[in-house]
Amino acid sequence: MKNIALFALAAGFAALTGCTTNVNTVERASPQAQPNYVADKRVVTDASLSGALRVNSVNQGVVSGNLLKVQAQLENLKSSVRAFNYRIEWYDQEGMLVSSPTEGWKLVRLQGRETTSISAVAISPRAVDFVLKLQEAN
Amino acid sequence: MKYPRLSSALFAAAVLPVSLFFTGCESTDAKYVDSKGPETVVSLDQINIQDWTNASDQMISSLLTSGVLERAPEQPAIMAVSRIVNNTQQQVDTDMLTKKIRVALNQSGKVVTTTTIGLGGKAEDPLAKDAADMNAFMSGEKQQTKMPYYTLSGKLLEDRARAGSTRQVTYTFQLALTEVRSGLAVWEDEKQITKQGKKASVGW
Repeated sequence: MKNIALFALAAGFAALTGCTTNVNTVERASPQAQPNYVADKRVVTDASLSGALRVNSVNQGVVSGNLLKVQAQLENLKSSVRAFNYRIEWYDQEGMLVSSPTEGWKLVRLQGRETTSISAVAISPRAVDFVLKLQEAN
Repeated sequence: MKYPRLSSALFAAAVLPVSLFFTGCESTDAKYVDSKGPETVVSLDQINIQDWTNASDQMISSLLTSGVLERAPEQPAIMAVSRIVNNTQQQVDTDMLTKKIRVALNQSGKVVTTTTIGLGGKAEDPLAKDAADMNAFMSGEKQQTKMPYYTLSGKLLEDRARAGSTRQVTYTFQLALTEVRSGLAVWEDEKQITKQGKKASVGW
C-alpha cells in the first residue's frame, strides 16, 4: 500500500515537473515581413508523422543574386520533445536532381507544441524546384 | 500427429515477430549505409561524418545568404584556404570541412579556389605551380598567377561536460572570410554541434 502511494506520488510529480515541455510564444501582432509563400503539394505516407508534425507554410526567396532559398515552418503537434529528420532535394529546369556535397538528412528537435523554421539554400543557380522530405527520428 | 506441428508453427509465428521487434531487424554483419542518411554512427568522442556535413552545410548557407561574395570586383571571386586550427582532442583532416565548402562555392559559380597558392608557400597542387613556373620561364613572360581576393580561415573547438554517467561533447566550428586587400573579415560565423549520451549509437 505504501509502495502504491509512493508510485502515485512520483507519477504525479513527474507529470507536474518534467513530462510536458510545451513552448509559449510572443510575437508582433502585425508582422512586417511579407513572405513569398509557395503553393505546395503534399504526399502523406506516414499518418503517424502527419499527426505529430505539421508543415505550416513554405516560402522561398533568392539569395546571392540567383540562388534559390526555401524555408518551411514546422510545428510539433505533440506536447513532448520530438525529433524529426528532414532533407531538401533540389531539381533543375529539366527535373534533374541537383546534387550537393552537403545534401542529406538533417535533424531537428522540437519542444512540445514548438514552431520553428528550417531553411536551405540551393548551391547551384540551376536549381528551380525542391522537395522537402520529412520523417520521424528514432 | 498434426497437432504438435501446428503448435510449432504457431509458436514460431508468435516468436519471430517478437524477436524482430526486439532486434529491430538488424544484423550484426557489416553492411553499407547511406553516408548522408540517419543510420550513421553517433559517437561521443569524435566528429562524425554527419557533423562535418551539417556544419559545412550551415556555413555555406550562411556565406551565400550574407551577400558578401557579390561584392568582389571579379566574378567568380578567387579564394585561398588559410589555416584551420584544430583545437579538438582528435586528429582531424580539416578538409572534411573546407573541401565541402569549396565544392559548394565552386558549384554556386560565386567562388573559385586557387590550388597554387597555399599557406607557407606550399601549393595544394605543386605540379600546377611547377608547370606555371616552367611556362613563365620558357616564354620569358612574367607569371600570371591570379592572387586570391578572399582567404578562408577558422578554428575547431571542443567542449566536454559530464553529469554522472552521461557525457556531453560540443564541437564548435568557426570560420572567417577575409578580404585580402583590406585585411578585414567580411564574413564570420560559428556553428555548434552538441551530442549527449552514455555511449555511441547506431543511427540518429
